[in-house]
Amino acid sequence: MTFYLVRRVAIGIFLLLLMSAIFFTLTRVTPGAPVSVGENPRIHEEQVNRRLHSMGLTDPNGKPYSLPESYVRYLGALVQGNLGDSYQYNEPVRTLLMQRLPNSILLLGAALLVALVIGIPLGIYASTHQYSKADMTTSIVSYVGVSIPSFVLGIYLLLIFAVFLKQTPLHWGFPLFGMHTGGVDDPLDLLIHMVLPVTALAILQIAIFSRFMRASMLEVLHQDYIRTARAKGLAVERVNYKHALRNAILPIITLVAIAIPQIVNGAIITEGIFSWPGTGQLAFQAVVDRDYPVILGVVMLVAAGTVFFNLIADVLYAVADPRIRY
Amino acid sequence: MAQVPPLPFGPAAGGLPGVPDQLSVETTVDQERAIAQPGVKSDELAGAPELGFWRLAVIRFFHHRVATGALLILGVIVLAAVVVPVITGGLYSIQDYRHPYKAPFQNWQHILGTDDLGRDELARLLRGARVSLMVGILAVVGYLLIGGGLGALAGYYGGWLDNALMRFTDIIISMPFLLVVIAVTAATGGVRLSTVIIVIAATGWFEIGRLMRAQFLVLREQEFVQAARALGASNTRIILRHILPNALAPIIVSATLGVSGIILLEAALGFLGYSIPPPEPSWGNMLSDFEQYLLSDHTYLVIFPATALVITALAINLVGDGIRDALDPRQR
Repeated sequence: MTFYLVRRVAIGIFLLLLMSAIFFTLTRVTPGAPVSVGENPRIHEEQVNRRLHSMGLTDPNGKPYSLPESYVRYLGALVQGNLGDSYQYNEPVRTLLMQRLPNSILLLGAALLVALVIGIPLGIYASTHQYSKADMTTSIVSYVGVSIPSFVLGIYLLLIFAVFLKQTPLHWGFPLFGMHTGGVDDPLDLLIHMVLPVTALAILQIAIFSRFMRASMLEVLHQDYIRTARAKGLAVERVNYKHALRNAILPIITLVAIAIPQIVNGAIITEGIFSWPGTGQLAFQAVVDRDYPVILGVVMLVAAGTVFFNLIADVLYAVADPRIRY
Repeated sequence: MAQVPPLPFGPAAGGLPGVPDQLSVETTVDQERAIAQPGVKSDELAGAPELGFWRLAVIRFFHHRVATGALLILGVIVLAAVVVPVITGGLYSIQDYRHPYKAPFQNWQHILGTDDLGRDELARLLRGARVSLMVGILAVVGYLLIGGGLGALAGYYGGWLDNALMRFTDIIISMPFLLVVIAVTAATGGVRLSTVIIVIAATGWFEIGRLMRAQFLVLREQEFVQAARALGASNTRIILRHILPNALAPIIVSATLGVSGIILLEAALGFLGYSIPPPEPSWGNMLSDFEQYLLSDHTYLVIFPATALVITALAINLVGDGIRDALDPRQR
């Protein structure tokens, strides 16, 4: 187990290094000097050089660093937790990420929780009532859920709940954009602002979780030990929810780890649409502004998170299922 | 002929003359035909072509009502996207500043209304459909060429190629795909449709690659491959003529579902301004001004492209699922 852990961590670090190299190269070969974005065209050359130097792109003599050289410098800074400075905000990327991260964790965590709480029971119910109307409905809902990208879903939700509902005589609806007071000063206000973005993010995962749970349950329900348990005269509920569920729910651990990069992917646009001040919106804005240090920072953060959660998922899986040995 | 003949599964064992035994469990094709059509002698049908795997799959597909309906809808969309822009020509980009924001379903000249610059919304939607479908199909062809080729080689030969493929997949899976595509698009010179297609194909092929590899891993150990090798077939011949046709079924399903995934991805890119640039419309960039339309009450400019996107993706997914059921009836 220890050897396995060490190996996994080593592979994870290698993956992160490789990704940072790829993305660093990509952002450096991108055409267009960073200074030219939103800058006074009559700016003096000396000032341009000074700014380029302060961005860490040139050495004190004004000579640009070569690609490997600047990558090594970037890595050296990365080890110290320095992700470089944003072109757009004139602030360290780390500060920006730290400001936005709690909001994102709140939103994504809520979406994941909602998806689990709704998706898993839905899948279990569909599997124990196979081919029933409820099962068919679940399939249809999961079909539609998979076919609607989260940004279109977000726009639909805004349209229905923030625009149409407000035009009804009730004059009631959800707010068009996210997080007015910010933070947790007003939990109720925060909750109301969370409803639409959480729904937009959760529906795809509900579709995936319920589909997976149904398939997993059906597979277990057809195994011999379930028949034995039923033959012994145990109640259907007891067999379904005690014997079968325990084994069927295990793979969900891995699925959750896979779901995290998917939710982050959806969050980039969803947070942008709902003006939710999270890391996704930061990335959304950075993409529009072509603010590459920020894009690079978000990619590295997400990659590190994914590698970490995959590791946790595998370890948890081994703990939960004694048949698995590493 | 009152009753529908049962689907003839299983091989035809040559014409068995005489009255078929109605009680026997295993009837041959000829016997079933004889039961279904009592007036016709089985000898006359013996020359009829035996139904192959693919023919049967097509029959099974059209017995699936939802999938057939989805295919019909998809056919209408594709036909409209291919034919109508040819007739209307440059209508999608003709601006009419006297008539911006014309409401839909009001007159025949602009059935779906006009957008903020007075351009015909229907013409733009159909032009956008062309973009979406073209990106979807071309990128999937890229998936099949890169992923199918590398997957087949990795599965067949194993070794370093296999290892490299698996490690690459690990990397791709742990990345936020949208940001990857954006970074690569930006780095390779930005917003041209050809770049978008190439980038999507170059970064998204790994799923089909993995699938192909798994198929080849299983199939290369099968007896018919050993038999072919014993007969002196070359590796190329074994891969192309013996293994590939048997490996195709799940690849076709995955490729079909891949088209809808790519269309949604292209829309997301267009929405962010990283796909085809204006004035060329795509469903994604038609949605990028959604805030303006929502706040100014011109909601139809949001509803039409969004709905077009969802209907197309849903239709493709349903067709893909129908194909899955048709190719592998056990999975239902």
